Amino acid sequence: MIWQQEECLTRDEMQALQSKRLINTVSRVYHNVPFYKNKMDDMGLEIGDIKSIEDITKLPFTTKQDLRDNYPYKLFAVPMKEVARVHASSGTTGKPTVVGYTKNDLDMWADCIARFYAAMGATNEDVVQNALGYGFFTGGLGFHYGAEKFGATIVPISTGNTKKQIQVMQEFGTTILVCTPSYAIYLGESMKALGIDPRSIGIKAAPLGGEPWTYEMRGQIEDLWGMRAHDSYGLSEIIGPGVAFECQAQNHLHINEDHFVPEIIGRDTLKSLPYGSEGELVFTCITKEAMPLLRYRTRDISSLVDAPCSCGRTTIRMTKCAGRTDDMLIIRGVNVFPSQIESVLLNLGETAPHYVLIVDRVNNLDTLEVWVEGKEDITFVDGMRYMKEIEKKITDEIRSVLGIQVKVKLVENKTIERSEGKAKRVIDRRNK
Amino acid sequence: MKMSYWQKEETASLDEKKAIQSERLIKTVNRVYDHVPFYHKKMKELGLEPGDIKGIDDLKSLPFTTKQDLRDHYPYGLFAAPMEDVVRIHASSGTTGQPTVVGYTKNDIHMWSDMIARCFTAYGITKHDIIQNAYGYGLFTGGLGVHHGAEHLGAAVVPISGGNTKKQIQLLQEFGSTVITCTPSYALYIGESMKNMGIDPRSTKLRVGVFGAEPWTEEMREQIESLFGIDAMDIYGLSEVLGPGVAFDCHKRTGLHINDDHFVPEIINADTLEPLANGQLGELVFTMITKEALPLLRYRTRDITKLHTGKCECGRTLVRMDKVTGRSDDMLIIRGVNVFPSQIESIILKVAETAPHYVLIVDRINNLDTLEVWVEAKEGLFSDAIKSLEKVEKHITHELFSLLGLHVKVKLVEPRTIERSEGKAKRTIDRRNK
Repeated sequence: MIWQQEECLTRDEMQALQSKRLINTVSRVYHNVPFYKNKMDDMGLEIGDIKSIEDITKLPFTTKQDLRDNYPYKLFAVPMKEVARVHASSGTTGKPTVVGYTKNDLDMWADCIARFYAAMGATNEDVVQNALGYGFFTGGLGFHYGAEKFGATIVPISTGNTKKQIQVMQEFGTTILVCTPSYAIYLGESMKALGIDPRSIGIKAAPLGGEPWTYEMRGQIEDLWGMRAHDSYGLSEIIGPGVAFECQAQNHLHINEDHFVPEIIGRDTLKSLPYGSEGELVFTCITKEAMPLLRYRTRDISSLVDAPCSCGRTTIRMTKCAGRTDDMLIIRGVNVFPSQIESVLLNLGETAPHYVLIVDRVNNLDTLEVWVEGKEDITFVDGMRYMKEIEKKITDEIRSVLGIQVKVKLVENKTIERSEGKAKRVIDRRNK
Repeated sequence: MKMSYWQKEETASLDEKKAIQSERLIKTVNRVYDHVPFYHKKMKELGLEPGDIKGIDDLKSLPFTTKQDLRDHYPYGLFAAPMEDVVRIHASSGTTGQPTVVGYTKNDIHMWSDMIARCFTAYGITKHDIIQNAYGYGLFTGGLGVHHGAEHLGAAVVPISGGNTKKQIQLLQEFGSTVITCTPSYALYIGESMKNMGIDPRSTKLRVGVFGAEPWTEEMREQIESLFGIDAMDIYGLSEVLGPGVAFDCHKRTGLHINDDHFVPEIINADTLEPLANGQLGELVFTMITKEALPLLRYRTRDITKLHTGKCECGRTLVRMDKVTGRSDDMLIIRGVNVFPSQIESIILKVAETAPHYVLIVDRINNLDTLEVWVEAKEGLFSDAIKSLEKVEKHITHELFSLLGLHVKVKLVEPRTIERSEGKAKRTIDRRNK
């Protein structure tokens, strides 16, 4: 089943639609968002210079830093009375990255997710157990509204409480599971430990995303559950989940390009690259009302595929993300910059400014350990109790600022390797 | 202040209201008779045919529904709509580990959003407001109920969900939130935390608070209003009926307006089950006359209150209820979560190291509800190392968290130290609001 006809346009039709929408959007941001007006003025670019989708490469880029600099609402292109929703993700300096939606944006978002449910073969009789976090993150509410629009039954269980997840799954007749790939494995392994075969539940499909995962992991998940695992791609700056998805052919991700126009650029040259080349993925939002970003640099590495897909959709596809261009870590679906941890440590002032982050995957769940040196004048003679206090303080503060549980370990002064150049702050043991 | 309403039914005349209620009740009775075997059987037993229900005055001849009936038909046995029409499931934790499950069709969700929009309009909230929704999102009805309604009203929703007080405070300061929605005790906790951080709770743009999910007093209202310099408004609801949005107060503060064109209220004597006249104290009962997925007849809420008729100065003609003053069962509300002592008992009985003697101590510390469970250890356990006591306590705490989603402090006490009772055991000591 295909949810909307825009998924099957000819290339000419798609480009005509994109051109119309892009021209409209550029004019709107020029008039309503001082940031873009200034940028375009500086470049000597006028609204009239954008005559079709081909002209997209003339437009200025937008970065995550631009969102931070315009915190919280300064990139909004509509007045607050038209904003129906605000989402945010945690940011480097404790300031979240804020995104906004109008009623029409929410409706469009729900359609993008409904397209995904249709593409995985769902029907209105399916029961969707949504184990993504509800609240500020876009994951939970994104899949929630999409399922409701699609007409399936949503069970909004949110994250955590694995025992309850299993109970609900067995008793509520769940047929579709929404979560992160690592949680799908953790959940399945937990069931096995309880003597329950995950295959006995009868889950037929799962849209999985929110963190990088490999095809090897997909094989493992599909084998564990006897279901089809579909890759889900999205980021809150663009919309949240629903930017791109895998259909039942499971052959790259269909981009909802009638709303989000993709480009691949060279990481150093920032020049647009042809289909098939690997580079940084960039999106321009051409239908969003509240926060339409021009050429937003995702920092994700991918490539674009324009060959037709066997499912009948003609939308451009992207290959699975190969990684991130900067140092951002994704821990259980939460974005974490090493600099965020650093700012917590330095703000508390209880430790020396030398630390290392050890990222691992234990029992299929991401773990983050923070090893940090005690101050020079603190010796281990001060006793375990004092050290435990500091460790707890740091753990609590990181949970409060970043919303994640980490393990903090205070180590002796001068035991963490120093560097001559760029410090090696992160040891990532996952996917090795 | 300019009076405004969300829907015209809020100001219908008594005759108009009766006509709406009658038409809707007749339709609902027919539907549950045809589609819900439980009601079909109950009505047959009472010798009742759908045709016997000719109007709202015949409500009292219909059978009651209890929480136990919901449990007995777990999970979907009382649904009056097929699953293909059900778009949402909510659930609350239940006695034996089985949650109480409720369902909604698309029309139900839409009606729910309208009910919340009615409440918000009465509070003076408009599409210009920024609503920081600190009710928990998920299977509980609080977060998503308020969320959809606020969006329907056209306001901007900040879906922060419960907890993380520091972030709540940051957003109050930086996002320009003009409305906060949470439990009244959490509002006090946020305010006190701000003071401790050296932030004046009156310094933000907050102007209205929407508080519910637990009983609160007029004194607490005054405390919150003066702490934040806001209007503190009351919202009432329960998931079996809808979730939040069943009733709401207005600025005249003459009681909570019940959305009685959807939920027809009655007050009954909890022992005889006889209907009581308006103004008399008794158990509140609701019949849902518009819900499609789960329309319950005469659902016994166990909440003790009174009803008042007559037009409010605000112009609404909806029947009003007083603040709930108690329960006709032993349910506790801890930080917005419904807890039955029997749920805790079911966990304790499964633990081999404890005896079946326990007491629950409920208190409010720093404006947050606390629940302590004191339970007797079996003979011999106290002679073991402290470590094994701690292990048992930790195990029970974990099990309770898993069942209730609530952090409970568990304390093992020596055998025969909890008072025995000759009759009904006194299981709960509630030190709040005393």
